[in-house]
Amino acid sequence: MSRTEPEKAIAPKRQRMLDMILALGGLKEESAIPLSKVKEELDNLKTELAPLTDTIIAFPDSYYEKFLEAFQKSNMVNGVNDRGILKEAISNLDEALSKNASASLKGLNSLLTEALDRMTGAGEISDAGIDVDVKATLSAISDLISEVELIVDQYETSAESEAESARAELVALVEILSDAETKAETDSEAALDQIQKLGTKTRYGPGLRATAQVKRGKRDGRIDDERFQNLVRENLLTEAYRGVIMFVLGKMGSKTVVQIGELMQTSPHMVQHALVTMIQRGEIEMVGLEGDAPVFSKVLTEIPNSTLVLKRIVQQVRGMVKSLADDAIDTANESLTKLQTLLERLQILGTYDETALAEPMNKLRETVDTATEAVLTSKTSDDAENLKLLVSAGLEAFARFRLKITLEKGPNLVSGYNVYGEKLDPEVYKTMMDTYLDNELERGTMLILIRELGALTAHDLAERTNIPQDRILSHLLRMKRDELLTISGESHGYILYDVPRTPSEAEIVIQTAGSLALQLTEARIELERILGELKAADIGNLANALEVFSKARDKLASVRVGGVVIDEATLTEVEDKIRSAVLLAYRTRAKMPSTRPKVTLKDLADVDVPSVLDEYRNQMGYAPLLGFGTIEWDQSKCLGCKSCEIECPENAIELKPRIEIPKFFEISDEALSQLPTNRSLFYKTVQGLATVKPSKDIVLEKEAPGFGTVEVDLWLCVACRTCVRRCPGPESGALELELKWNLPEVVKHITSPS
Amino acid sequence: MDDKKSAVLICTCGKQLQLGFDFLETQVKKMDLTSSVTVHDLVCQEEGLGKIAELVKTSEGHLVIAACSSQKIQPRIDQYLASKGIDSTQIQYVNLREHSAWVHSDVDEANKKTVDMIRGTLARSAKSIKRSLEQKEIATHITVIGGGIAGVESALNLSNLDYDVSLLELTDELGGHVKSLPVVAPTGKSGKEILSGRLEALQNDSKITVMTNTKVKYVTGEMGNFTVHYSTEGDEKEKTLDTSAIVLATGFKEFKPTAMDEYRYGKNPDVITQFELSCMLSEGELVRPSNGESVKEVVMVQCVGSRSEDYKKDCSKLCCTFAIDNSLEILDRMPDANVRIVYMDIRVPFENEMIYKESREKGVDYIRGRVSMTWEQDGTTYVRVYDSLLDKYLDITVDLLVLSSAILPPDGTLELSETLGYAIEDDGHVKELYGKLRRNETRRRGVVAVGGVTRPQFVFEAVTDAQAGALILHNELQGGKIESVSRGAVLDVDDCVGCSLCAQQCPRGVPLMIEQTEEEEADEEQKILFKAAIDTMNCHSCGVCQSLCPSGATQLNFLSNDQLWSEIEATLEDAGPEYPITLCFYCEECSVSTIDIVGTRKMEYSASTRLIPVPCAGRVSIIDILKALEHGASTVMIAACETDRCHIGGTGNEIAQVQVDVAQDILNAIGWKGERVDMFRMFSAEPERFINAVDEMVKRAKKLGPTPVHEGTAGKWVEVAK
Repeated sequence: MSRTEPEKAIAPKRQRMLDMILALGGLKEESAIPLSKVKEELDNLKTELAPLTDTIIAFPDSYYEKFLEAFQKSNMVNGVNDRGILKEAISNLDEALSKNASASLKGLNSLLTEALDRMTGAGEISDAGIDVDVKATLSAISDLISEVELIVDQYETSAESEAESARAELVALVEILSDAETKAETDSEAALDQIQKLGTKTRYGPGLRATAQVKRGKRDGRIDDERFQNLVRENLLTEAYRGVIMFVLGKMGSKTVVQIGELMQTSPHMVQHALVTMIQRGEIEMVGLEGDAPVFSKVLTEIPNSTLVLKRIVQQVRGMVKSLADDAIDTANESLTKLQTLLERLQILGTYDETALAEPMNKLRETVDTATEAVLTSKTSDDAENLKLLVSAGLEAFARFRLKITLEKGPNLVSGYNVYGEKLDPEVYKTMMDTYLDNELERGTMLILIRELGALTAHDLAERTNIPQDRILSHLLRMKRDELLTISGESHGYILYDVPRTPSEAEIVIQTAGSLALQLTEARIELERILGELKAADIGNLANALEVFSKARDKLASVRVGGVVIDEATLTEVEDKIRSAVLLAYRTRAKMPSTRPKVTLKDLADVDVPSVLDEYRNQMGYAPLLGFGTIEWDQSKCLGCKSCEIECPENAIELKPRIEIPKFFEISDEALSQLPTNRSLFYKTVQGLATVKPSKDIVLEKEAPGFGTVEVDLWLCVACRTCVRRCPGPESGALELELKWNLPEVVKHITSPS
Repeated sequence: MDDKKSAVLICTCGKQLQLGFDFLETQVKKMDLTSSVTVHDLVCQEEGLGKIAELVKTSEGHLVIAACSSQKIQPRIDQYLASKGIDSTQIQYVNLREHSAWVHSDVDEANKKTVDMIRGTLARSAKSIKRSLEQKEIATHITVIGGGIAGVESALNLSNLDYDVSLLELTDELGGHVKSLPVVAPTGKSGKEILSGRLEALQNDSKITVMTNTKVKYVTGEMGNFTVHYSTEGDEKEKTLDTSAIVLATGFKEFKPTAMDEYRYGKNPDVITQFELSCMLSEGELVRPSNGESVKEVVMVQCVGSRSEDYKKDCSKLCCTFAIDNSLEILDRMPDANVRIVYMDIRVPFENEMIYKESREKGVDYIRGRVSMTWEQDGTTYVRVYDSLLDKYLDITVDLLVLSSAILPPDGTLELSETLGYAIEDDGHVKELYGKLRRNETRRRGVVAVGGVTRPQFVFEAVTDAQAGALILHNELQGGKIESVSRGAVLDVDDCVGCSLCAQQCPRGVPLMIEQTEEEEADEEQKILFKAAIDTMNCHSCGVCQSLCPSGATQLNFLSNDQLWSEIEATLEDAGPEYPITLCFYCEECSVSTIDIVGTRKMEYSASTRLIPVPCAGRVSIIDILKALEHGASTVMIAACETDRCHIGGTGNEIAQVQVDVAQDILNAIGWKGERVDMFRMFSAEPERFINAVDEMVKRAKKLGPTPVHEGTAGKWVEVAK
């Protein structure tokens, strides 16, 4: 007969207990505050918050009032050129207003709407005619390049000084590294400690994890000594190298292998060895060549927009050169060379502070755009008919390097042989070129539209160009892959595509002000709702709402209109109040177990404890109390009655059939006098009969009422104190609960295979 | 309490005993606790009884009678004194005949032993207290759980004994399995007929309240004061019922062999169980369930699930008879039907043998073997039977395949045991208190189990069982006015620490743990506080609670700790290395009668033994054992009932065993020899076992030589440690 029951992943009792551990601490406070006091806590919170909330809720109104004033006065709205940003800000404000009418927001909204209307009108006008002096434009470009060069010079200087300061740090790191390397040969444990020390300094994630894993494996006995030595000598040391390399690339800019080797005082071979995996891991990439040596850089999660803009300018100018004649070509070529160098320099820099570059870069872009148009419309070029076609279809397309190459190389393929010795069929070539041209022209049209009108969706583009939407989409995806487009948001469920832009200061201000206005309005409504009737379940939301206020305040404090922070007085005044309110909310929240954020076992098993601490601190605003209670059992007070075992709700405590008889002989006379009469008589009789003091425990074959040793399964104990309360032993009983805060132990216990 | 001096009455048993009575008299007279010594020739005769009455009066109840076995003499003395209105509760007995004169040929040795035992008993007597007659009035209400034949019968009997009865039935109708039996052997009557008279009586009985669709959830309290928690169908709300005792008559459950693939039960509608066939037969015409056509070929399979390691290990006892009953009923209705019974062996107890013979005569075909498979083809059911006598496989077409499946305990038996406190057998049925003598009682006082819930029972067995159960309860409740001399555990609440060891281990579940809510509120450390509550009138006086109590809060009122300890000390006064003594605690159930038989048969054993009676071996605590060694005993033994045959609920002897085991371990650990202590089991008439046990312990006493107490090294572990 099959009696298979569905196997449960984890027993409910254990799950319950796990939940308690995983709520990450707070137990100590909890034991002090029984659930019945939750209401009291909430009332306290409410009283404490009351003097703070009014100011907090009032501050956005005050701020935006002053903001509107300053914004109008500074005429900053003219600095906004990006319609996308403007639209986004307006839609945010619209939504905020729909939730809560505010005079200042309304004013700001109409101001922005006017600006948008103006811009749309102006855009249409500018489309009308183009008449540009090519030479003047080219010289303007050259000037702008010089300006950008100066800024990039500054970037490089500051990057270098950063690198200089990092050099001192690097020396220390290299020292630890070489120390670890020496120790790895003799004392693996010590080497491991050094590597771990290094890891905490370089904060190289994969290395940290690998080290922690090996350490754990060693401690749990899963890794034998020989393997441990090997792992330390080979893998972990290499990981340590990688950490230092990462440090170099992060703090000191892009470097070649040889340069890294010199900095780290080690052989390029070793660096090379370490690098390969880092490339595979996608941590670093090759960004250029220095002589024949590849230059490596940290992979950036996002390439600065200015770099992308410059990349496009370079392509555009490169295309322009072909269409120019005489001395104009030289000027343009000169500019092109400079631009290419600049692009490389920016790429090597990796990340930099874009704001300084924004203005000249935007101007440069605009000028190059105009020049391209001018070049193509001036008909000075005697180039092929093809170009005229391109002009009519979309000037942008031509500006792209890809199309040029195809146009140049194509005829050769038809007349000659390709590298495989094949000859291209002219018919095939024709169809291919038609498709190709169609594609490139369509893409060009789309790019122009997006640049002029701001971010657009595939749907918008299809409407304006009459290109089928599926083709639009495939173009968009292609151009996104070529980094010609970025995703800037969503509109009615469609993705908004935009060309890379460097937002101006005014644009950033309006972007920030718009989105914060919405966030603050929502948070305010939420806060008012919660405070209306403060419930335990809302405590998390309360903290979140206050957190929104806090973050918004910090951001607003960095927004400058006309060079000054708006309403600084209010912002400063409200700063402390918000902070106190957030802290109060978190503190109360920590006292209510059900509202605490839960972390899963999986999360804990793999993570080293310091990082959990950080996470927790970030979540809760204060350092966690990690761990669990242990039960101390005092044999001399135990009656062996099993009441603890019977009463324990978690089956965590057990009277084991083992008598710790040596302890019979260590009970003080005072302790004996406290015991119930027969119990103390028993101990006295045993002592009175004994000829020797036993040294070993007695292991009983079966349970014996009245005898035994109390054992607590830490795994199961939820520190509820029931056993302590039930114990009938003398004085306060034989059991004592000691809250023990030791997450690593607990996690180790949980994750051990048994 | 001050020690009281006692009068000592020594009987010469008609001058027949080989003892130096003059010596005894002089020796006893010298003892501090003796007030007077009287040597009498026939204490058990009128004259002697008169002397006892006189001595009880003069010594204020403190009297030690050294005569023959108290088993023989005490009832007579108690009766006599009671008739004279004299309290006999403090009289202590020394058995100088069976324990000494008759078993030791060396008179000097026997004298010495007798003197020691009288001295010991004097010490016990010195601290004895008068036990008075106690009365208790309880409600005359009894709850019967289960409305089958056993439940109905016990309800009727209890009503006749003048109790109010609530009869709780789980289903919507009374009658249980019996109402569906077409014929009940050997009466030839149908189940309905057997029930009808009883159900009619039930309806006319104003003292019985029938509650159908009622499920008992749990029970709290104790005899005289139970509360039954139940719910009725369609109303989940829990209701309660106060009652004084409980009859558990929840019947049995027929095994449904759906998991036994060879029969295709549950898949083929023409495959049914024997009880399902009974239902069909008693409800009307017998047709094939699959198509309503008539039945001609019937195969019955015996032992489906019974005598199988996987389902029910034992024989279900009833199925053979029921199969034969049903076969005869089928043949009666359809004489041309073919009934084959596939069996392993037919067991028809009692006069049921008659119907077995009848069935053979009427042509029921018995095939010894097993069914190996069942299958269907074109609407016909086939079975393949292995005939082990012919060593052949027979493929038979059947209209009905009837499975005589096992009888299992009903659902919920285990759950109810948690609060009703009865013990459960390995097979899941309710365990009787004592298999030989107390079959109707359960381990819990005030709860009797009757009918199928205790073991498979025939209808008439269940009826007699139910009658017996009713009488047992009547004996306990005494019509609601309970009166008895208080004898049992008495709790000193002030001393109770609330450890619940007594409640955990009491063989009859007498101590109740009461939460002290008021004290809890006042307690600064939020302690959960309990105190035990013991109704002495419910107690069986085994002393297990006393043995385990860490504070001495609960003690038997006829054998306190002080009484026993001073008796041990006094008995062992002369014990020493030159005269190694074996002290024997014996229970006053099996062991006392075995030792009496040893005496009657004059079976010789060493006179270096000293015997101390205890009501049950469970009364002997580890402290008592260690005390005996402390006072100079060379070896200590406990004579107790055989395993699983403890008369006081089955576990007193096991508690004693634990004390002995732990004592041995501790002795070994503290520099002694654990073998100085041991426990021996015996039935009530096994003199050889007692002799062997005593010989063994005497031998060990000699072999092991002086104890550390004799050598003066006991308690010197401090120096050794240094």
